[in-house]
Amino acid sequence: MLSLEINGLEMRYPGLAAPVLAIDRLQVPAGTRLCITGASGSGKSTFVNAITGLERIRHGSVSWNGTDLTRLSAGGRDAFRARHIGLVMQDFHLFPGLSAFENVVLPVRLARRLTSTEAQRARFLLDVTGIARPQQRIETLSRGEMQRVAVARALLLKPGVIVADEPTASLDSQAGEQVSELLVRLSREERATLIVVTHDPALAARLDRHIRLVAGAIVEDKEGVQAP
Amino acid sequence: MIRFILADLRRFGGGALSVVILIALSVALSVAVTLQERAVRLGSARAAEKFDLLVGAPGSETQLALSAVFLQPAPLPLMSGKVLAKLAADPRVALAAPVGFGDSSFGFPIVGTTTALISALSPQLADGLPFSRLADAVVGADVPLKTGAEVKPMHGSVETGGETHTQIIYRVVGRMAPTRTAWDRAILVPIRAVWGLHGMAGAEAHAHEGETHGDEEPGHAHGQGDEHPAGSEPAGEHGLPAHPEAHGPQDDDEADEHGHVHGHVDADAPLDEHFDAQTPGVPAVLVKPKTIADAYRLRQEYRSETTLAVFPAEVLTRLYATLGDARSLLLAIAVGTQGIVIAAILLVATMHIGARKRQIGALRALGAPMRAVVILVWGELFVLFLAGIGLGGLIGLVTAQLISARLTAATAVHLPVEFAQEDWRLAIGFVVAAAVVSLVPALGALRLSPAAALRS
Ligand SMILES: Nc1ncnc2c1ncn2[C@@H]1O[C@H](COP(=O)(O)OP(=O)(O)OP(=O)(O)O)[C@@H](O)[C@H]1O
Ligand SMILES: [Mg+2]
Repeated sequence: MLSLEINGLEMRYPGLAAPVLAIDRLQVPAGTRLCITGASGSGKSTFVNAITGLERIRHGSVSWNGTDLTRLSAGGRDAFRARHIGLVMQDFHLFPGLSAFENVVLPVRLARRLTSTEAQRARFLLDVTGIARPQQRIETLSRGEMQRVAVARALLLKPGVIVADEPTASLDSQAGEQVSELLVRLSREERATLIVVTHDPALAARLDRHIRLVAGAIVEDKEGVQAP
Repeated sequence: MIRFILADLRRFGGGALSVVILIALSVALSVAVTLQERAVRLGSARAAEKFDLLVGAPGSETQLALSAVFLQPAPLPLMSGKVLAKLAADPRVALAAPVGFGDSSFGFPIVGTTTALISALSPQLADGLPFSRLADAVVGADVPLKTGAEVKPMHGSVETGGETHTQIIYRVVGRMAPTRTAWDRAILVPIRAVWGLHGMAGAEAHAHEGETHGDEEPGHAHGQGDEHPAGSEPAGEHGLPAHPEAHGPQDDDEADEHGHVHGHVDADAPLDEHFDAQTPGVPAVLVKPKTIADAYRLRQEYRSETTLAVFPAEVLTRLYATLGDARSLLLAIAVGTQGIVIAAILLVATMHIGARKRQIGALRALGAPMRAVVILVWGELFVLFLAGIGLGGLIGLVTAQLISARLTAATAVHLPVEFAQEDWRLAIGFVVAAAVVSLVPALGALRLSPAAALRS
């Protein structure tokens, strides 16, 4: 499980006077189930990009269990993310032409040989996420099933943290409910910190710490289960 | 990885296929040009090998060489028979064989010559015997006539409205082994039969010892491609005159009732391959000198006012230079095409990558290392290039073989389509260029941060 520590983080884009995201100090202990909310354009995705190393950080620092992402090269951040962060995105980013199973193991296969333990775990995760036929071609799955495959993929290497950016936004309420339940349950079972950006009250209600962003700044940080 | 590349290529099947075809066609063009040029060069060089030195009447060297080596119907002036006699007696000459063109049968050229040339072309006959009577014929390997078949000579060819000679019907007595030259399509007959048929004085030279003939002044002739309608052919139209009146009044006593004069040909007359000063004119004499030094000396000697001496190989080399220019031009066009194709591919690849930035960003976001992304993008393009190059090489090879086969069918000259060492260098060059070019979009794909790539 990973803990997050942010200090003096500022994300700016060229042509914008004010930073899109400015977080002076934030600590997320390992095992926290954190919910980030905020209006559109408030900097939620920018926050995700910063803490997962998808975007380079120029001001401040972001550390996971003491590993400072700002000290890593782009390749180093990619490697760190691959090893420690399970990412779930609004658009599932699954690859057509491959089966559900192949999609789950694709990131590993692109890096190296898949071990039999990993193959077994992939099948286990697909089973846990309720995908009955792992060999089914991904484009023939329902949207809810697709996002569940994406969750299985995020968990393959037992990441210390699961980061999800609007995981239910493109699903209907029932499928969204299943994915929400899965994320919370698996993060607990797999002993991973969970950070979720969402507008979905049902999902937010399952999480135990809520941060609200306005114009890139934290305006609210509450512990305890509650609707935003 | 391979599965992912293939799954990806399947998704863009149509585009991938057109890229492959584009590359294949441009590669095929250069392969075909290279192979074909080499085939013509090697094939004709081998065809000319058997003809060391050619002596003929002054005129075009190229025409002389092409007519003798490729039996190409063409106007050749006649040279005095004395030259043949002199060459035959020359101690530096291993073989001096007259070559008389002008007639054809079933579209195959009839060539008047001697048994010595037959032995030189085909030391071992495939079938039968060399000729021993005036009306005997030996056919080349590609002439579909059996031993015993009749050959009615026609002056000129059917296309030019040739007229069939009636005084003689040759009988096939032998067949040469394949020589892979144009002579595989020839019907060889005794030169004296040709002379006799064309009423050229000297056919019965030994019966008219000491008589002088007008044929020592070169009779001018036109090619078989001549447009004269049948019946109005001017005298001496072909390599050998059709009607001896062209040679003047000394032949008048042999005129038939049509006013035409034809030579008497005694089909059963024994072969006479002895030539002397009274020997009639011939368009060309094939000479095999005993040594290389003799060859050069002979060529020097027979380059004079009245004769022309050429090494066919040398004439062909000069022709290849021209051919080489054409090849350079075609290759330049091919290379230009390749440049355009590569530019088109880069454009397609760049657009393709643009459309796939999200996919590439996602792969990196999900933990695929940069190296994998580069190999992926590079690999996909490179696979297309390789398929195109392979397919293009195949198309080029088949094209060259088809062209060679058609040319061989028409000329009997075997044109070998074969790869050479330098081709492998070229192929490796293509592959390396493809590998480098494929790298461009691959590296481009890494410029963006994964977040930026995902946003696009
Ligand atoms: N590459 C960029 N260049 C310039 N501005 C950017 C860039 N990326 C994001 N922004 C701006 O940064 C701000 C925050 O964007 P971000 O994507 O983090 O918002 P968000 O909270 O995720 O919104 P949403 O709920 O709509 O996803 C927005 O105003 C956006 O216009
Ligand atoms: Mg967002």
